[in-house]
Amino acid sequence: MNRLWWTQVKAVIRLELKKTFFAKRGLWIYVVAALPVALFVAYAVAMANQHHRSASIARQGEKALSYQDLLAIKPGMTDEQVVGILGRPPLRFHWTENHPTGPDSPPEQIQHEDYHYSDGQNDLYVGLANGKVQSIHIQEANNLGETAVMFAGVFQFFFLRLAIFFGCLGIFMNLFRGEVLDKSLHFYFLAPIRREVLMAGKFLAGLLATCTIFVTSEILQTVAFLWHFNPHARDLYLYQHHGLEHAAIYVGVTVLACIGYGAFFLVAGMLFRNPIIPAAAILIWEGINPFLPAILKQFSVIYYLKSLCPVEIPVSPGTPGLFALLISNADPIAAPLAITGILAVAMVALFVSSVQVRRMEINYTSE
Amino acid sequence: MSDRIVFEDVSKFYGEILGVNRVNLSIPPGITSLVGPNGSGKTTLMNLMTGLVKPSRGRIEVLGCRTDDSENLFKFVGYSTQFDAFPKGLTGFQFIHSYLCLSGMPPQEAQRLAWQAIERVNLVDAASRKIAAYSKGMRQRIRLAQALAHNPKVLVLDEPLNGLDPLARSEMIEFFRASAAEGCYVIISSHILHEVDVISDQVILLSNGYVVAEGQIQSVRSEIQEHPTQILVRCDRPRDLAAKLLQSEYMIEVSIHKDGRGLLLKTRDADRFYLAMNQLALDGIQIESIAPADDDVLSVYEYLIGNEEVVR
Repeated sequence: MNRLWWTQVKAVIRLELKKTFFAKRGLWIYVVAALPVALFVAYAVAMANQHHRSASIARQGEKALSYQDLLAIKPGMTDEQVVGILGRPPLRFHWTENHPTGPDSPPEQIQHEDYHYSDGQNDLYVGLANGKVQSIHIQEANNLGETAVMFAGVFQFFFLRLAIFFGCLGIFMNLFRGEVLDKSLHFYFLAPIRREVLMAGKFLAGLLATCTIFVTSEILQTVAFLWHFNPHARDLYLYQHHGLEHAAIYVGVTVLACIGYGAFFLVAGMLFRNPIIPAAAILIWEGINPFLPAILKQFSVIYYLKSLCPVEIPVSPGTPGLFALLISNADPIAAPLAITGILAVAMVALFVSSVQVRRMEINYTSE
Repeated sequence: MSDRIVFEDVSKFYGEILGVNRVNLSIPPGITSLVGPNGSGKTTLMNLMTGLVKPSRGRIEVLGCRTDDSENLFKFVGYSTQFDAFPKGLTGFQFIHSYLCLSGMPPQEAQRLAWQAIERVNLVDAASRKIAAYSKGMRQRIRLAQALAHNPKVLVLDEPLNGLDPLARSEMIEFFRASAAEGCYVIISSHILHEVDVISDQVILLSNGYVVAEGQIQSVRSEIQEHPTQILVRCDRPRDLAAKLLQSEYMIEVSIHKDGRGLLLKTRDADRFYLAMNQLALDGIQIESIAPADDDVLSVYEYLIGNEEVVR
């Protein structure tokens, strides 16, 4: 790219960024990007509350308990045995149940008790009936491994497939289409600038906008997701268990998703008048990707992005076959190949866009 | 590099609708007016010569440059369109400045040229206001400023005087004339015929997508054989002159002018009439002036197109 083209690209980006960031019709994109952040913030707040409650219960207990102490309680034990091991319960509920025994005999009275213990992180709920342990439930503290899988699920199934997908649709499809509808595209077409350079400038402006919005969202999600863990667990996850590496990969995948979907929607905005048709077509195409033959899979963005995601989402036993196929990544490809693939797909889409932009005419009356 | 704007057998169809058909033109420097009723193809012709639309067939070159080579074309072409829409949120100055920056111009140079263009259309006071708050006339002027900003050699102006006040109109007309005198190509579309008549070096008459006539207005008029030439003669004895003229076979109609100080006549052979006038002048009638009365755009337009949608 020569210096003139680069200067022109910068001029286009300056003009487009203002429009993209402050367009009223694009406000919903901020909402979509903020949704997973809100989800993780709400989750973090709920977890923090739960942690405070567990710590408070542990403080109220007669003795400091360990997780092993909580596991020592077994069904059939008497209330004395439970109190002997764990001390008097910090939280205790009791009620009486009138249990019918027959049509002519009076109901039997059952004394129910619930004991609630905590070691500060994990909670033990013990259900007793007439002084004997009947049920035990341990609510384990939220661990980073499980939360990381949840984060991966939200990233793959909401953030990538819906938030970034529709965000790119809103921004990239409007780069040319929006100006045709506003009847202002001729402003660019009357300037001494190659149409391909104009297209490149608009694409980069769209990319800058989507990357800013969605990478910011991604970083905020990571912060929210790690926020409620104690600093020790956080450091362990970030520096010993590849958490930092995963966070960087998620940011990279977000950028690649913006490139891939952006290129797709740029060309779709030039080829179609109604954005619903290409959006639905691409959404279906991306959705049925796991069921496509290997050769067709390659013409998809999600195929490459899934292979780049750092955390595999486990398929629970008993999950229906089709759904399991949708979740799992049956034939992942190597990261360099995936990155090359997605860039290649984007290049093909941009090439089609550059051919299309040269053919574009200003004929607002036909819109 | 060619010194003409050339259309070779150019046709443009919008689906099944005809824009222009089989247009052959070679436009020299000076002020050229495109004249025709609404829908005659004026804007299509302008959009074609600026590459905003592509010809369905034929070839167009502007001073040797293909119209699909926008990078080079708009270095020397400025187009003020009829489209009354602007990029959102820009002030008048930002509109011109960003247009110039798009050409890769350094910001300082773009700033200088932007102010120069804004001054030329008398919009300095409104330059820092958003275009969305401009009146129709101001929007017209800022479009003109955009077309003029980079001092192009070819100016394509679609109805450039629409919405301008009389002072601004006369200033713009002066500017067009000065540009033409410097060798620029000023292509103007208008349906205000008396303005076209005043400013044009040549006209292109369009009707239903076809070029009906082109060239200097007098030569176009002389080509129209089926309509007799009208001539206004100022003299001291119009009745005597009328009696003499009616004896010649090439005279169709002679009438005394409304003010009684001359004759308005129609002849089939203007050349023979002018020769005869030399003889009559020798017979003692004082001839003050002889001037064609229908070699203006209005007359030619009426003869060739009819008087539909004409603003006199």
